[in-house]
Amino acid sequence: MLRVLWNEMKKIWTWKMLGLLFIVNLILFFLVIEFEIEYFPNGRPELDSYRIGMEMIEKYGIEMDEEDIADFKQVYEAQVTEADRYLQARSEFVEVGWDTYEKYRAYDPFEHPEERKEELDFQLMHEEQVDLFWELQERERLIEFHDWKEVGLESIIADSPEPQKTRYVELLENRMFQLYPEVAIRNFDRFIEGVAATILISVLLVVSPIYLQDRNRRLLDLQYTTEKGRALYRTKVLAGTLSSFWVVTGLLAVYFVIYAQNKTSPYFDVPIHMFIGKEYWYDPTFFQYIVLCTIGIYVLSFVFVFLAMGFSTIMPNYVALIGIQIPLVIWMIGDGFNRLLTGMIDLWTAKWMVPTVYIVFVIVSVGVMVYLSKREKKRDISM
Amino acid sequence: MMRIIFLECKKVFMSPLFIGLFIVFSMFNMYLIVDNSYFKEELKIANGLAETYGLEITNESLHQLEEDIKLEVGKMTEMTGQEVESVFSFFDQLSMEDYEKYSEEEQSFFHQLQLKEAYLNVAKQIDSDYEGLSMKALAEAEIEKYQLSGNAAEILLTEAEKLSIRFDKLKQTGEHKQWFFLGQPYEMHSFLFRTIVKAVVFEALILIVLATALLTTYEFENRTHLLVYATKRGRIVMKDKLFASLLVTTVIVAMLLGVTLAAYFTVFDYAYLWKSSISSALNWEYNFPYITWWDMPFWKFLSLVIVLLYSCILLFTAITYAIAVAVKNSYFTFFIFAVFFAICFMLPGFMPLSSSLLFITTFNLSVVVMNPHLLFTGNGGLVMFKYHEVLTVTVWTVIALVLYWLVSNHFKKVDIH
Repeated sequence: MLRVLWNEMKKIWTWKMLGLLFIVNLILFFLVIEFEIEYFPNGRPELDSYRIGMEMIEKYGIEMDEEDIADFKQVYEAQVTEADRYLQARSEFVEVGWDTYEKYRAYDPFEHPEERKEELDFQLMHEEQVDLFWELQERERLIEFHDWKEVGLESIIADSPEPQKTRYVELLENRMFQLYPEVAIRNFDRFIEGVAATILISVLLVVSPIYLQDRNRRLLDLQYTTEKGRALYRTKVLAGTLSSFWVVTGLLAVYFVIYAQNKTSPYFDVPIHMFIGKEYWYDPTFFQYIVLCTIGIYVLSFVFVFLAMGFSTIMPNYVALIGIQIPLVIWMIGDGFNRLLTGMIDLWTAKWMVPTVYIVFVIVSVGVMVYLSKREKKRDISM
Repeated sequence: MMRIIFLECKKVFMSPLFIGLFIVFSMFNMYLIVDNSYFKEELKIANGLAETYGLEITNESLHQLEEDIKLEVGKMTEMTGQEVESVFSFFDQLSMEDYEKYSEEEQSFFHQLQLKEAYLNVAKQIDSDYEGLSMKALAEAEIEKYQLSGNAAEILLTEAEKLSIRFDKLKQTGEHKQWFFLGQPYEMHSFLFRTIVKAVVFEALILIVLATALLTTYEFENRTHLLVYATKRGRIVMKDKLFASLLVTTVIVAMLLGVTLAAYFTVFDYAYLWKSSISSALNWEYNFPYITWWDMPFWKFLSLVIVLLYSCILLFTAITYAIAVAVKNSYFTFFIFAVFFAICFMLPGFMPLSSSLLFITTFNLSVVVMNPHLLFTGNGGLVMFKYHEVLTVTVWTVIALVLYWLVSNHFKKVDIH
């Protein structure tokens, strides 16, 4: 039994397949994953956002009470004074009337554009890239978000339809406000979608030929007359499943090791509702969210692996086998992963929707496999 | 022999898979078009302007338009009972509630007039806007953006000089002063050529690679090779297969393009704008207007893009055929082709930023088909060369011929068992 399984595995893992899998992963890595690693944080103000977030976690931990917020504002005020001094020390800024940070901020390039001010602003922010001023901008954004939250949430509650409304009320009552910069989690969202796409294509590439290649070579006549006979079909299911498991696990390991370069681990304990931006139905921490996405990738990969094995059983040739899966894969990459993986607990998808889709997917794919392996017992293979 | 080719083609066209995929792709394209058509009524303004005032924007026609708008603004003063200077200023001080008070007809009248004003404002500013454009500055910005140096930077600057000459000529002939859909809000050029045409190219590639792989490896995968290659026609049947693949490609691309473009032009009306230049200042979408190397009215650009993409896709068919003959397995053929396509596309990104290799590697088919909206233009980033498209297709035709010669020699002697 085990020897047959081992031999079936060897049939899947040919050198040609390994080579192709490697090249395909290399290409997809550079196409859809590498950017999120190489360019994180991506320029400014993302860099400042990331740094201030780190500082917040270090100083205030994963939750900020009123005291912490007061302290945060104090830091801001201190930086404003520093910025005042910086501006006053440079005559060219004083000349155009920018002797305080407030006056500098009051400048509106759209309403009253002034060429000299434009030049100086560009010099300050882009040529010299003074950290202080970039940080001030980001802190302002965070403070604005904080000050706006109660009023903002109340008006959102007034406008929201029912199931979302309850959740918003819950957020407001427990004072679960969005406070932390969102760079890390949005970066992870894009990263994991790229990884999911890469893994999906990889497992399908490996497992799709499993039945068709034997049928093409007219091996069934031989195999099904052995002592093991038609039970071989199930052994192949096992071989395919095991192979896929190793592909998914191996690739996840590789890509997560690469992801470690982003150094987002300080953020892992922050509950995801604390990040600015999206709202969610539940309150996992960032780390739990990563685990959730990983489980999602396993489940979705196996769903498509089972479907692929099903197609492999019934499709007449390789071209049909690839062709029928193309729309499915394109849909998953273009839209599906966004809804089913990173949008798994998104507040604006109905709460029951994603779990239902997962259950239906699992039932259909497992059902197809069970049906086909039962059918295989009685099928006329002389055709 | 004709019968063989016919029967080969039948394998594709009678296959439920290809019919199914064709329907799915066509539906998807139509969905893309309809999904983006919410502003199609507004687009009629551009047609109307070209119809009434002529395609060319001249000082007289602009003056005429201004007068007409003034007349209509006068009508608005009557309708609203208040002094209206321009629709923009009128809308500025108008609250949502006041706006609701007007009847739908009046609202649509205001709206039309506002759009006309927008077109007028853009048209009036063409000269001053174009004065600020410098091809050299553009090239320098590109050099900064990609951080080019050495040879690469020099090449870019030389090209920019050539483009400068073309740009000056363009300003003299007034190619840029023609009515077209406003580039800023609508982005019709990008929508048609980048979204729609690129989608068609992708779908066509999937179909033709699958079809070519199917036909070329058919005998081996269906265990008929011992029979077929032993017949009188024998291995020459591979030639028929190539010919059939090219024929199938031609038909598939024609059908896909036909269905998609028919839907597109049914939804979006170009009635008076077929002769409008791609380099028109109104077709100004991002930081720069499109500047084509030759005078290119819309119809000509569209036809040339179709011809060029056709050539590229036929060459891809030939390349797929070569891969399929070499590996004799349609599964691997498909993925090897995908890898080939992706590597060609990514290749320039891995070249040193100081050498001319950076540009040489852009002369490949993947790069050409991936940016249909920038074809024949002089400001399309790293592929701005005047003869980029023509040269690429020529070079790859030679490569494809060599590949064909190699694989057919190989196949003549290969062991078939």
